[in-house]
Order: sequence, then C-alpha cells, then structure tokens
Amino acid sequence: MNEKELVAKAQAGDFEAFSQLIDANKSKIYALGLKMTGNQHDAEDIVSETLVKAIDNIDKFRGESAFGTWLYTIALNQARALFAKQKQVDLKPIEEYLPTKKAEDLHSSSGFKIFDWEDPHKRLESAELKRIINEAIGQLPAKYREVFILRYLEELSIKEIAKLIHESEASTKSRVLRAKLAVRDYLSGRFEEQYGQKMS
Amino acid sequence: MGKKCLDYISELNDYLDGEIDPGLCAEIEEHIGKCENCRIMVDSLKQTVKLCREGKEIELPKQLEDKLNSMLKSRWDKKFGKNN
Ligand SMILES: [Zn+2]
Repeated sequence: MNEKELVAKAQAGDFEAFSQLIDANKSKIYALGLKMTGNQHDAEDIVSETLVKAIDNIDKFRGESAFGTWLYTIALNQARALFAKQKQVDLKPIEEYLPTKKAEDLHSSSGFKIFDWEDPHKRLESAELKRIINEAIGQLPAKYREVFILRYLEELSIKEIAKLIHESEASTKSRVLRAKLAVRDYLSGRFEEQYGQKMS
Repeated sequence: MGKKCLDYISELNDYLDGEIDPGLCAEIEEHIGKCENCRIMVDSLKQTVKLCREGKEIELPKQLEDKLNSMLKSRWDKKFGKNN
C-alpha cells in the first residue's frame, strides 16, 4: 500500500494504517529530540506530543508534503517550544574557539601546531566516541545547539533555518559557524586528552 | 594558524559547506596546501560534521515504544469514537 492510500485509511479511522505511517519516522523524531534536548526524558516527551498532535490533526493533513515531513515539522516545533524554556547562554566569540588565541596564551613562541585528530575511529572505541560526540553537542547552549543540528544533522539550508528561527541569514550563518567551532573545539580537547591517555 | 588565517575562518567554513564561489575556492585550496594548521582545521571541521552525523538514527527504546503504542491507541479510539 502506498502512502496516499495509508493516509486515506488513517483519516477514515484505521489505526493500523496510522501505525504504519508513523513507524518509519518514530526513531527519527526520537533522535532529533535527543540531540536537541540532550536528555531522554524530554526526547520521549517530544515523540509522544508529536504523535498525539498528529492524531489530533490527521484530518488536516492534505498531502502537500510527504507524511514524514509533516510529522517532522510538528516535532521540530515541539522541540523548539521546549528549547524556549531552557536557559539561554551565549558562546564565546569566534576567536576564542580558534587555536591561535589559545596558542598565544600558552606559548608565545611561534611554530605552534594545532592538534591533529586524524581519524578518531582508529583511536577510540565506538561507544566512547559516541559518548564524546553527544557531550560535544550537548554542551552547546540551546540556541546554538538548535542551529547546529538543523544545519548539519538535518541538513536544512541557512535560508530555511533563518526563516525558522526568525533571524537574518547573516546572523544565522554566524551562529551556525560559532556552534560548529565550539563543537570542534570541544572534540579536539577531548580527543587530545583521550589519545594521550591511550599512549601513556 | 597565523593571524591572517583567522580572517579566513568564515570562508573556510563556506568552502566546507560548499557555499563559496570558485575563485575564492582556489585561493583557499592554495592556502591549505601551504598552511598545515589550516589544513588540520579544515580536516577537523569536516570530521566534526561527519562524526556528529553518525548515530543520527537512534532506535526508539523498547519501553517507550510499548508505552507509546497503548497511549496512542487510546487517543485514537477517543478521537474516532471507539470506547473500548
Ligand atoms: Zn592558514
């Protein structure tokens, strides 16, 4: 049965059809919630609230987008509503996440080389790596975590994100960059630490 | 990364995200070829995105799946007027 037929059945009250429609998307929504909020409890809330909204509004779905996209938009709005409640903290200016600044603080001599991670998969176990990656995203203040996820995990364009968060494209772009540099900086610090431990 | 390289960071990122005009692209590639730190910066920024994309699909915990199913079913029955 194709999606259109499933939607028609669901709108007529067939729960099985609805279940099939959401099956392919449940995990995706959960993963989005987990990344956005950084905790399982909120991620679970996002999944259940999204699906409840989908039930309540199933008759309003007109098939203008794929069903998955429709669900995803609901999930995104749920996640953003939760975000609004989180404390808004700012990141340091871009320069602080660049190695030069730190190098100047540490050693005034030149010839400084920034840490080269190479491929972390070769150095760390996958569970450990996964934990570090989640920490790196999780440590971002909410408004940065949001744009980072939307840009690089959900692969939305700067234009789309700007519209979603009601900011100019220029400021969205710089927010995305700061977020990315902060994630890189965090990963770099953690990898340097971990690689060092492995070698000693 | 020299002082000059700092000015590059926004362009470096555009370059990585594929949002840059070809002229500037060649200029950056030339710089990366000469500047080890910028090369590492570009590599690690690339890895940052790649790593974060891994594990994007996380399975729904079984417990939640069960809880969800019964909750959704009762919501559904309420909406479509089946009270059993
Ligand atoms: Zn350079």
